Amino acid sequence: MLSQEQSHDILSRALAAANAGEADAVLISVDQNISRFANSNLHQNMSEISAGLTLRVIVNGSMGIASTSSFDDAELARTAELAREAARHADPLQNFSGLYKENEPVPQLSTFDSDTAALSPMAKAHELKVMFERGREAGVQFAGSWLTCAASVATANSHGVRRFAEMTFSDATVIALRDHSSGYATRCARRAREVDILSLGEEATFKATLALGSHEEIAPGTFDVILEPPALAEVFEWMNMISFTGQAYEDGSSFFVGNIGKRMAGENVTIADDALDPEFLPFPFDLEGLPKRRTPLIENGIVRGPVVDKAWADRLHLQPTANAWHLGSPEHGSAFHIDVAGGNATREELIRSTKLGIWVTRFNYVNGLLEPRTALMTGTTRDGTFLIRDGEVAARLPNLRWTQSIVEAMSNIEGLTKERRRVATWFNMFGGTIAPTVKVKGWNITGVSSS
Amino acid sequence: MTPTREQFEHALRSLRNPSLRYADIRWTATHQQHVRVRNGEVDALTATVDRAIGVRVLAGNGWGFAATSHVSEEAILQTAQRALEVAAASNMASTAEVVLSDVDPHVAKWASSYRIDPWSIPLQKKIEHLLAATEPMRGDHRIHQVSGEVSCYRQEKIFASTAGSFIEQTTTEMGGGIEAAALENGEFQRRTYPNPFGGDYQAAGWEFIEELDLAKKARQIRDEAIALLTAPKAPAGRFDLIVGSSQLALQVHESCGHPTELDRAMGLEISLAGGSFMQPDMLGTFRYGSPLVNIVADATIPGSIGSFGFDDDGVPAQRFHLIENGIFTGYLTGRDTAPAIGRSSNGTVRAESAARIPIIRMTNINLEPGTTPLADIIADTKRGIYVDTNKSWSIDDVRLNFQFGCEVAYEIENGKLGRLLRNPLYTGITPEFWRSCDAVGDRASWQIWGLPNCGKGDPLQTMRVAHGAPAARFRNVEMA
Repeated sequence: MLSQEQSHDILSRALAAANAGEADAVLISVDQNISRFANSNLHQNMSEISAGLTLRVIVNGSMGIASTSSFDDAELARTAELAREAARHADPLQNFSGLYKENEPVPQLSTFDSDTAALSPMAKAHELKVMFERGREAGVQFAGSWLTCAASVATANSHGVRRFAEMTFSDATVIALRDHSSGYATRCARRAREVDILSLGEEATFKATLALGSHEEIAPGTFDVILEPPALAEVFEWMNMISFTGQAYEDGSSFFVGNIGKRMAGENVTIADDALDPEFLPFPFDLEGLPKRRTPLIENGIVRGPVVDKAWADRLHLQPTANAWHLGSPEHGSAFHIDVAGGNATREELIRSTKLGIWVTRFNYVNGLLEPRTALMTGTTRDGTFLIRDGEVAARLPNLRWTQSIVEAMSNIEGLTKERRRVATWFNMFGGTIAPTVKVKGWNITGVSSS
Repeated sequence: MTPTREQFEHALRSLRNPSLRYADIRWTATHQQHVRVRNGEVDALTATVDRAIGVRVLAGNGWGFAATSHVSEEAILQTAQRALEVAAASNMASTAEVVLSDVDPHVAKWASSYRIDPWSIPLQKKIEHLLAATEPMRGDHRIHQVSGEVSCYRQEKIFASTAGSFIEQTTTEMGGGIEAAALENGEFQRRTYPNPFGGDYQAAGWEFIEELDLAKKARQIRDEAIALLTAPKAPAGRFDLIVGSSQLALQVHESCGHPTELDRAMGLEISLAGGSFMQPDMLGTFRYGSPLVNIVADATIPGSIGSFGFDDDGVPAQRFHLIENGIFTGYLTGRDTAPAIGRSSNGTVRAESAARIPIIRMTNINLEPGTTPLADIIADTKRGIYVDTNKSWSIDDVRLNFQFGCEVAYEIENGKLGRLLRNPLYTGITPEFWRSCDAVGDRASWQIWGLPNCGKGDPLQTMRVAHGAPAARFRNVEMA
């Protein structure tokens, strides 16, 4: 992992090579280990030390971007020339007021843990071996992965803005399998000690063996569903892509368009992009150097607005939200810290209040492109789907297909737990989703897997 | 720097461990350029170069992999030592024996071919080409956005292994497409050509973009996007479904390509991507589809992005059946999985770059053409729906229950294409669907489609694969 001094030396040389009116650059270096296991065997184990630089230049109001993984002066000069060439051919950005200049102080957040950075593949393997042995005693086999990572993130621009943060991250998922049943558990945190792999094994085993002797099937129809945080997280990852980004707002595909300030969800629905929440996965700035802030997306059911990068804030005449996670990305702002407010219930209370319903551990392969304006999505359940009858878990269910407008569902949330859990995402190491377990009325089950 | 053969061999010799059974080193340099225009202006122009070294070792029964983006002789040696340390951790927790199928040593060079180097075309020409292709789609108030993009890709790769191989490969690819998005009264519709999500891709040069003739298709795409705004919703119920080549290619990808990956079937990918309903005890006997269904994996097709000379185990590219006359006959395999079913690797292990672990990936997974012209299939359909061009995709974790949405549909009445329909969704169970196939289009309707974004692995690796498919008819399919 590159130090602050090393990072800013490379960034300074890159900005000098840019030789443009305005320029900014991002340097991310990562030292990570991912241990993957299946059939209670550690079958893939990888260690990576990498770094990448992205340079953006503004020439006569037009933007060009190039990136490289080599940082000698010749390569930086070549990268700068590629970026300048791109900018020379691009059109000027509409209403662009220039790169970030204000250089406000960034929030002081705890993002790094030296114990996590020092955790070795061998230490993790020892923990996993214990989990495998416990699984054998419980009659289950485990599959999953365990990531530990230390990273440094540095940004700089030609207006003198300099940012640097070190960050650690641990993310584990465990699936327990027994016969044709499975259970799932996941945790992520800035500190590896908050990701107890043995506890995850126990939680996954509980789900894999719950109601093991009782299997039922249901016909498609509408059901009350209790969705745990991993299920919600996958839905809200899609909501980010089709509804929350600056690009989705501009191209008209987001349901936010024409609805800002209007009630589109129940009063109990509050969703924000919030990298400042210390209970979540904090990070102090976006990659354009803007200090992170809490940005409401939906507040007590009322649509507030999309997230944007600097260029799209100017273009759409919106306030900046500090959501640039790639320089010049086609999303033009992305919510990497989706924070779903909780309620007052417990998961057990949600189950007890359900006459006939389905308890869902997680979803699989959700797709949100069916009808973006209503956020109509489809997906299946997996790794623990249970029938609730008269307030109790009555049976295991096969995996179910659902097809549901999430805009509609957000008006049908009947209860939310006070407890919220963090869920990581596959496409970035900065954040994810923090969400409660929710109970939704009238969820459309449209098929049953015959697995 | 580009490492030399001597540096590779020196690093392999540096791996001194009594339990070492195998090691390989890869170097990749991946060059990409992306140009996108939107509503008459340049929206994105990016150029990336990514270099990496990856070292994979098998010590005892533990695999270890280490990678770095710092390419130097010292970094190669350090990375090799880290790979050994990781392998020692794996070996300590290992509960299964690793068996490798044999591989012959190869010293070879391979490169895909092209006529016009994508990087020889000036940026200005690429931009002008896209502006000319997208301009005819503009001008109607219902068209909210038009866009076009081209992507250039080149990966140079060097592979050396303790099996004695030293293989140099270079793949050059070109892709592109256009899109029109229409919006009116809260209805949003998108139409693309020739394929969604960036267009179509081939292992080719700029000549491929010229052959696509994007400008010629622009008005049709615009008109269809507008027409979809007011088209009737595709009906729910059971219909005879004719699936066009582009959509059927994705159907093959999701419901045959992925479930025939042997690592999935063995549970090795279950934590992220899932498993497979196609289990080894079904090989040779399971009726996957009707006797008309023949699906092959063929990594040797010139010009396709699923082709290569050797996989990342150093095994030569091959052609073999996955489904023969409707019967499940083969898996995609690698050296460390094939022995589990008593076979040798058929050469499908690849990694996105040297920074990632090689895993089983699709190559060109193709539904072989049949003998019936598409026009005859339509003429032979009394009441049905024709769908094409993917819009949404979802399938369960063992690849049984699927649901696909398409950009367009047309009703079929008494053998004739009728009204345009919007938002078609069809759903089914994989073997039930393929067994209902009663007509497979001839070679005239067969086309190979490049998909540069197949996701698998953890960390997620994006692999470049392709699928050939004709149009085909499936009886009594559920439309949602």
